[in-house]
Amino acid sequence: MVIKYFGVDRFFTFLRTIRDAGGIRASLYKLYRFDNLRPGTLVGTDKFGNKYFENPTYFYGRNRWVEYAPQYGMEYDGSQVPAEWFGWLHYKTDYLPMNDPTRPKYKWMAEHTENLSGTPGQYMPYSTTRPKIEAWVPSKCK
Amino acid sequence: MLRLTISRVLNEAKSSPKHLFVATRSQSGEVKKPEKIEVFIDDKSVLVEPGTTVLQAAAMIGIEIPRFCYHERLAVAGNCRMCLVEVEKSPKPVAACAMPVMKGWRIKTDSEMTRRAREGIMEFLLVNHPLDCPICDQGGECDLQDQSMAFGSDRSRFTDIDFSGKRAVEDKDIGPLVKTIMTRCIHCTRCIRFASEIAGINDLGTTGRGNDMQVGTYIEKLFMSELSGNIIDLCPVGALTSKPYSFTARPWEIRKVDSIDVLDAVGSNIVVSTRTGEVMRIVPRVNEEINEEWLADKSRFSYDGLKRQRLVTPMLRDKDGELKAVDWEAALVTVAKVIKHAGDKIGVIAGGFADAEALIALKDLLNRLGSEALCTEHTFPLDGSGTDLRSSYLLNNKIAGAEEADLVLLVGTNPRFEAPLLNARLRKGWVHNESNVASIGPKIDLTYEHEHLGDNPSVLQQIACGQHQFSKKLKAAKKPLIIVGAETLERKDGGAILSAVQSLAACTQPEDSHWKVLNVLHKVASQVAALDIGYNPGIDKIREGNLKVLFLLGADEGAIHKEDLPKDCFIIYQGHHGDQGANIADAILPGAAYTEKQATYVNTEGRAQQTLVAVSPPGRAREDWKIIRALSEIVGAKLPYDNLNQIRDRLDEIAPHLTKYGAVEGANYFKQAEQLSKNTKTALESQPIDVKIKELQDYYMTDSISRASTTMSKCVQAVLKQKQSKYSN
Repeated sequence: MVIKYFGVDRFFTFLRTIRDAGGIRASLYKLYRFDNLRPGTLVGTDKFGNKYFENPTYFYGRNRWVEYAPQYGMEYDGSQVPAEWFGWLHYKTDYLPMNDPTRPKYKWMAEHTENLSGTPGQYMPYSTTRPKIEAWVPSKCK
Repeated sequence: MLRLTISRVLNEAKSSPKHLFVATRSQSGEVKKPEKIEVFIDDKSVLVEPGTTVLQAAAMIGIEIPRFCYHERLAVAGNCRMCLVEVEKSPKPVAACAMPVMKGWRIKTDSEMTRRAREGIMEFLLVNHPLDCPICDQGGECDLQDQSMAFGSDRSRFTDIDFSGKRAVEDKDIGPLVKTIMTRCIHCTRCIRFASEIAGINDLGTTGRGNDMQVGTYIEKLFMSELSGNIIDLCPVGALTSKPYSFTARPWEIRKVDSIDVLDAVGSNIVVSTRTGEVMRIVPRVNEEINEEWLADKSRFSYDGLKRQRLVTPMLRDKDGELKAVDWEAALVTVAKVIKHAGDKIGVIAGGFADAEALIALKDLLNRLGSEALCTEHTFPLDGSGTDLRSSYLLNNKIAGAEEADLVLLVGTNPRFEAPLLNARLRKGWVHNESNVASIGPKIDLTYEHEHLGDNPSVLQQIACGQHQFSKKLKAAKKPLIIVGAETLERKDGGAILSAVQSLAACTQPEDSHWKVLNVLHKVASQVAALDIGYNPGIDKIREGNLKVLFLLGADEGAIHKEDLPKDCFIIYQGHHGDQGANIADAILPGAAYTEKQATYVNTEGRAQQTLVAVSPPGRAREDWKIIRALSEIVGAKLPYDNLNQIRDRLDEIAPHLTKYGAVEGANYFKQAEQLSKNTKTALESQPIDVKIKELQDYYMTDSISRASTTMSKCVQAVLKQKQSKYSN
């Protein structure tokens, strides 16, 4: 009680947060990546390596979050969260995907892809109109 | 048949006013002018020369009489009857185009009788003319459409009670350029007269009479003329339309930009029609001094080449030797680094489409870098006065002067395909002016009779020293003309040929002291400007220079190969088409074609003219001189001009005639050039004089634009097919 009264428990929470993040260096990196460093329980990891956390001491809307997998670096965005985790993250459901009995799982269901707009993999509808100018294509070198 | 002696024309004039027309036109300058006669047109008095037709007299006071068959540049046919006008005291209306005026005639061009006559004629024409204006390519620029609005009846009496339909005529296939919809034909015979009088191809004619009359080629064959596109302009209705342009645009949607053609050295004036940033068609613009109102087929139809094989982005050759698209910054920085490293070991070859602005910018840049290796792709002999005296490389007597000549000697040139409109002038002189033409070179068909003097260069010497039968004629000629092909001067003994021709020209005795005998006919549009600015003709300097950087300014004729250059030579190509030059280049800077820039070109007679911007350059391509200006700044030798006016001031400094648009700066010093040419050391070789373009199939694809054109390749195929046909002659 005394500890709580003087706020020393916050210091321990801080230390635990740093420990969970994997040390001072890793904490600073996380802070740099997400502009945020907070304590939470790891509730699951999806197949891309994104980690999902929960901390009910935060208020609704801030108490569930995702830490994107390291391979995304600074190029993370919301579309990298797969559909099954989307529901939990946005409070559509309180079931975690692995515990959700109603979630269908068929073989034919497509793999989740992130939004590829602005990358070489983006979808481009082909043009049906004749180009006004046909560019010269250099002949392949021998 | 067309060629009539003057006496015959004058004798026949009494019976047939048709021939008098020819006589008055060709002789008007020489025959003693008879007294003028007075006639009254709509009660306005006008004084005209005897022999003037009613139509011409009306035109003098600005009254235009409607017509279909009459055309200023063709013989009078008088068969459409649209130009009927009332003459007082004459029981019937007369055909204004064919009737010479008589003294004191009172002509009424807007009387009741005239109007009724026109309405009647229009009704007859429309009886058998289909009502397909909405799908007709001529719609909007159709004489029949306009005149039926102005002079036709306001209601139709055409009731097809038997449901037999209007007259229908089978379409003819006369080649890949001209589309025929013969049902629309109103038998004005303009196309037939053009073909036999101006193009010199007697293929078109009529069969049948009255309602069954048809215009055609008798047997299905190609209309084998390099001027065939002009019959499209001549056709007053939609019977002859342009095949490549068919169903693509309407005249009221089009933006028209006046410009200059650069596909040959004539510099024909053109109108570029564009829509939605795309060239839709090219039609001629009247310029009496150059192209009259005609245009050669290559100039008219190769515009689709401007849309294919284009360089749209800068490119650099990567480590694997592949050309990869890069942005301007990367390209300019890389090129500038290479140029800086090369120092003065840099050379330029300018091709046939280079404009004067780009030429001067590049010359200034190279001179700043300390190099003088600026060459043109096409050679010109440097012996004697070389290119120092302009008179030795210009068509001095001008294009329009060609029709006045009484004796023309062609040396190693085929004007029919090198400059079709000059050939049309020569033919005009041959038809109307009794000129005689002789040629030295291979046997070619010029569309008119000419004396072939063999193909040995020594003939020139024989004529000069009076051994040849032709020398007498040349001496006697009052207006002799010698036209030398630039291609012949590219031979090793070009200097000797030029010198021989110069001395030949010197020993002629033209009547008029301003008459210039010596004429050089160039093949490409850039050559005269390049020589005026001070480029070296021929690429010997490049071969010997041991260069580190070679800058090709649209040089696509394959004058230089990689093997001629040192191995580490870096080749920069600036131009608008991916052709031979771009293939060997290490860096490509995309430039603008002639429809995409405001640029100066000087034609073979030394007339500066400018093209105007019709469409914007495609993709990242830019105007040529701007690219060089940008490059100069990165290289560190900044050129002192930032806009078109400033660079034209620079042109003005070097050669003031380059900015006097439309005017010819004549050249002189023929005597001095001739005397200097006596120092020529090379001797005439025995190798026969030859020209590259001998027949029609060689004409169509000669440069990077026409080589990229599908229309032009269709023409070549069509001509080759026609040559194999059993009906070809």
